[in-house]
Amino acid sequence: MNGTELLLDPTGLDGSADESFLAPRPVSLRGLTLGLLDNTKPNATQLLNEIAALLQEKHGVATAKLYTKDYFGTPVKDELLRQVVDEVDIVVTAVGDCGSCSAATVADGILLERAGIPTVSIVSDSFNMSGRAMASVQGFPGFDFHAVPHPVASLDGEQIRERAEQALPQILRILGVES
Amino acid sequence: MTNIMNDPDTIGLRVDAEAIRETMEYYDAQSWTDGLPVVPVTESYLQKFLAETTRDPAAVLFSMPHLNRELTVRLAAINAALAGCRPEYFPVVIAAWEAIAKEPLPVRGIWQSTTGTAPLTVVNGPIRGEIELNGAGNVFGSGFRANATIGRAIRLALINVFGLRPHLLDQATQGTPAKYTACIAENEEQSPWPPLHTEYGFDASESVVTSFVIRSVMHIEARHTSVPEQLALDFVDTIRRTGALIHQFTSALLVLSPEHAQVFAGAGWSKDDLRTYIYGQVVRSRQELAAVGKDAVSRSTNWRVPGDHPDAIADNAGEPDDPDTVRLLRYPTSIQIVVAGANNAGVSAVAEVIVLNPPNEFPMSYSKIGDQE
Repeated sequence: MNGTELLLDPTGLDGSADESFLAPRPVSLRGLTLGLLDNTKPNATQLLNEIAALLQEKHGVATAKLYTKDYFGTPVKDELLRQVVDEVDIVVTAVGDCGSCSAATVADGILLERAGIPTVSIVSDSFNMSGRAMASVQGFPGFDFHAVPHPVASLDGEQIRERAEQALPQILRILGVES
Repeated sequence: MTNIMNDPDTIGLRVDAEAIRETMEYYDAQSWTDGLPVVPVTESYLQKFLAETTRDPAAVLFSMPHLNRELTVRLAAINAALAGCRPEYFPVVIAAWEAIAKEPLPVRGIWQSTTGTAPLTVVNGPIRGEIELNGAGNVFGSGFRANATIGRAIRLALINVFGLRPHLLDQATQGTPAKYTACIAENEEQSPWPPLHTEYGFDASESVVTSFVIRSVMHIEARHTSVPEQLALDFVDTIRRTGALIHQFTSALLVLSPEHAQVFAGAGWSKDDLRTYIYGQVVRSRQELAAVGKDAVSRSTNWRVPGDHPDAIADNAGEPDDPDTVRLLRYPTSIQIVVAGANNAGVSAVAEVIVLNPPNEFPMSYSKIGDQE
């Protein structure tokens, strides 16, 4: 074979973006039902409960419902996703503090946004790049999620409460609500 | 060009080296490599790979739905060519992907994990000789094109097609050197036992690829003994190390040198005899596990944790009549055995596998080369 030929792209990515829209934002959280999507990683339940308590006390969230994934490493299964979408108005999901679960937590957020539910995905900041890369492969490179300081798994109850308080302004910002 | 390279009297080859270097730099700039130079792939070269199979280029070999990505035959071929495979290696690469697709963990994101595992491809049958795949000395490398490039073909596709790039979707804390490439042939000719693929019911004349997800490959040095129990205990000691324990159980692939295999076979041990013996010996006392904080498992993740951890529940690995003796292998089949390496010393290896079983008592991550899906 003589002459020049085009080098082939080995990724298979055709460059076309998926739909990358956010769900409509609520004006306020007053009276809303908050879904907490727990990925089973250590301290995820505690962190989500602290965030729920703050949103209920200070921002008028009416009720919080806890949902638990059966495996942290891949995104939420369709059945649970549909249940969450049917039952709540907004979601916070945590905690992406490992290689696969950081990406899965971001993917969960994108799935919920595309289903019309404003969602805050929480990862630990050691895994910010993993979350960002997942947003790209999901066709939503600009997806906004929140990175809390690593670690989370080894914190005690008081430290988890502090993480929740520190995260609150970013959670409100991503939900489109004035703090 | 081809004629020049095939002419044994040719002692030199003149090329446009600057153009070659520019091509290498282009691939690097695109992040389409594992850090090493790759072979340029164009449509005409790709067609030579696709001609080695009857598969539809658009057929999907493996997908990771959570990454929204899938590997077609065409993409597997591009990455095999990129890795330096010859076209005739491509059927092995296809079978390797089919084997990977049958494993429990790759589809669940294991190659994004901090644990940092690598795919290990084991090849049996006549294809080994046809493509000069090494199963003898230096079986773990380097120096053999088929081994080096088939293993690399898998990794390059994981990087390029699935986007599993270090620091991004691949969050391995340290990884393993096996991530560059890991492909071995069984040394069937110098094994005293039937080859691995015959355990799945294949005929020895068929060519089969088995895939494992491995962490460490640890070497066993034992040149002093012809007593099978003594030798087996060296393997046992390595397999039951507490540092390997993530979950309740562990599992391993023994890569026995012909000399070590002969110690067992010469004493009348079959492969099943060996794995049954090892299964019985790979235990730890509850106290030894408590000393490293791994005496219970987490109710939510099934990872080993200290008994006083808030998520802790008892593992069910204790013996019913001796609850303080904790089995670290689920089944005898948690030990798989191949023979590879030179027949020149009492030197073998244990490849730690994550996870052979559960869920299946018998491993099922294999695929016959050339089979239609």
